[in-house]
Amino acid sequence: MYINACSTISHQNSFRNENWINELTVLEEGSELITPNYKEFIAPSAIRRMSKIIRMGLTCSKDCVEQSGIENPDAIIVGTGLGCLSDTEKFLNNSLTIKGLIPPTSFIQSTHNTIAGQISLALKNHNYNITHTQNSLSFEHSLIDAILCLNEEDSNVLVGAADEDIPLLGELINELGFKGVSNHLTSGASFFMLSNNKTANSKAILVDSYTVGLNSSDPSEIINAFLTQNNRSLNDIDLVLSNSFGSIGATEIKALFSPIKVTPIEQYTGYHLTNAAFSTHLATDILHQNATTKSVLIYNTLYNNNIGLTLLDSLEA
Amino acid sequence: MENLKATLKEQIIERLNLEDISVSDINDDTALFGEGLGLDSIDALELIVLMENDYGIELANPEEGKEIFSTINSMADYISKNKK
Amino acid sequence: MSIYITGVGVISAIGLNTEENYQSLKDQKTGIEPLQFFPSEKEILAGEVKLSNQELIQQHNLTAPISRTSILGLIAAKEAWKGNEHNSQIRTGIISGTSVGGMDNTEIYYEQRLNEQNPDISLITTHDSGNTTERIAAELGISGYINTISTACSSGANAIMLGARLMQQNKLDRVLVGASDSFSNFTEKGFRSLMIYSDEWVKPFDDNRNGLNLGEGGGFILLENKKSLDITNNKPLASLVGWSNTTDAYHQTASSPDGKGATLAVEGALKKANLNPSDISYINAHGTGTPNNDLSESTAFINIFKDKVPPFSSTKAYTGHTLAASGAIEAVYAVLALQNNVIFPNLNYSIPINETKLVPETQWNDRNEVNAVLSNSLGFGGNSSSVIFKKV
Repeated sequence: MYINACSTISHQNSFRNENWINELTVLEEGSELITPNYKEFIAPSAIRRMSKIIRMGLTCSKDCVEQSGIENPDAIIVGTGLGCLSDTEKFLNNSLTIKGLIPPTSFIQSTHNTIAGQISLALKNHNYNITHTQNSLSFEHSLIDAILCLNEEDSNVLVGAADEDIPLLGELINELGFKGVSNHLTSGASFFMLSNNKTANSKAILVDSYTVGLNSSDPSEIINAFLTQNNRSLNDIDLVLSNSFGSIGATEIKALFSPIKVTPIEQYTGYHLTNAAFSTHLATDILHQNATTKSVLIYNTLYNNNIGLTLLDSLEA
Repeated sequence: MENLKATLKEQIIERLNLEDISVSDINDDTALFGEGLGLDSIDALELIVLMENDYGIELANPEEGKEIFSTINSMADYISKNKK
Repeated sequence: MSIYITGVGVISAIGLNTEENYQSLKDQKTGIEPLQFFPSEKEILAGEVKLSNQELIQQHNLTAPISRTSILGLIAAKEAWKGNEHNSQIRTGIISGTSVGGMDNTEIYYEQRLNEQNPDISLITTHDSGNTTERIAAELGISGYINTISTACSSGANAIMLGARLMQQNKLDRVLVGASDSFSNFTEKGFRSLMIYSDEWVKPFDDNRNGLNLGEGGGFILLENKKSLDITNNKPLASLVGWSNTTDAYHQTASSPDGKGATLAVEGALKKANLNPSDISYINAHGTGTPNNDLSESTAFINIFKDKVPPFSSTKAYTGHTLAASGAIEAVYAVLALQNNVIFPNLNYSIPINETKLVPETQWNDRNEVNAVLSNSLGFGGNSSSVIFKKV
């Protein structure tokens, strides 16, 4: 299936910037989200209530709709690791501190499916609408669902992921003992228009995505099985985009794929649970713009025991 | 009464995050819902919270709000009659 | 390809297992009472599972910290899984739905933190919804496809639907699908802020309905394909034949007056099942008892079934609205309806909704053959899901 549009809001200059893959910088501590002017994408009556994660998700979605010209996708699929944290904390705080009536808006906006729901409202879309939330694999589960849809009756599927950082999250991460990580927590969203149809907008091919939760097997067996399933071997892969937590496992990951080039993406994305969506956009644009790269494998082990694998090909592959 | 109306306008803008609207944009007889300010049913619930927490007026049924919240005039009128 | 249901499990305010739930439905005995275990300042009517966390943890040999949402899901999942073994020939997965995951623990932690009472940070590790499902998977020895759906009140139905789709596309042979949610201050205050929490007993489909009572619980069903059945020799209890998820796209929390989302969902599920409206023997409605939901859903029934709306009822007056879990708990009830040829009575009903005049089933009805059951779940974000179960 074809990737006919991609849109990312991140701590990189990624939004509506064709050249962003050449401008990637290693994030420094305390880097900030680079945001577009959301008001160009979201109606004033709607935006006033929206937290960061909803603004990001809806804006990337609208961007994908504009790029692809698909105004009424057959399905809307969103992955989020921790959901709408800002509104959740706001309502949690209010529910414990206000004695009388509590303002409802943050409760309404706190559910994980607010992003997908707002996209459907904005696009007036009555089709399949789902939200996957499986920590570090939320995005891969969304992709797998999108592939199911395209193998059923659907032609165009809007799929993406979003997660937001809030100050409390950093405090909790510190208290849980992951020192030093809190300065690298980030927000981000990436959305895609996947299609069965190749068009002038097509950028790359999504071959397959696969997850293993609570894994206890040798990762190399899982990788080989996934590639074999797709009639490939490691020799066919030109680049691996890896994703792990801290520096743990970086050496092992390199060894796992040697001699193939491995690029750890957390240096560019920072940490949020669906940063594999950023990798997917990055892989798409590399495949689209760099003629020598034919196949990219995304290897997501942000959570040690949860493995996500996504395979993409260039259009010419 | 004029003070109450001015305060209400400020409170509505703040509670409902009406970022692009200023006090001078809201006339005393501007329709708050539908055509006019364009508020919706979620805003109506927020206004019920405002009535209870700031003016001590309880509205048990959201339906009651429809008339009370039609304009700044009607809100101010209701508050001045029912304020505890 | 046929999808068979070979195990069911449920825990709710009306029982700790499937048998107890069935007996309470038969006795027309509600589980909605003033809260006993959950600390609250005033009297709140809710469908609480009648055991404390401590009792549940001890009975099932679990290790704290674990959220009540995980505990309830685990108990239902264990019952549905009972007696099954792992087999490398059967690709097995689990999909659970939840609306607020480990919020029950999170709100305890957050309050301790606000009050500077030496907060127990371990409680926060059970917050994320994915963790809720992983705890259940780990306990049952399931690894591989482990996923969580969060679409508010339709999560359970959507988890069931996703399991079926994965099997139809030959990704899995066997999948445990369901959902759970525990009662929480967060959701109770949330529905109060929307002014749809009733302090009276919920009255689904009654003209004087005035809101919902929350509940809590878990429901799971085990789905198997033919290949799996040939190995397990499990006896199918029913089959899952239709499903559809659509969006109302009308309002963030309210359903449209014309019932568009629900109408599309029921239509889609009938089409998938290759059934006519007249083939449906019983509808287990979403029927939360809010003025808005029941009117919109009734309108959808008329849109689809015209003047021949099949017998229908809501079981929310027994269990309370268990949010994500509702679609999964009611899937178990649908299987029970098929197995026993019974239609469950709708409690607390007296006057039909003025706009639609539809009358729900109010007596224990085992006079007729029940061949196909439609189960509806409608949630925030306009999320609308219908699933259809049939006799094997």
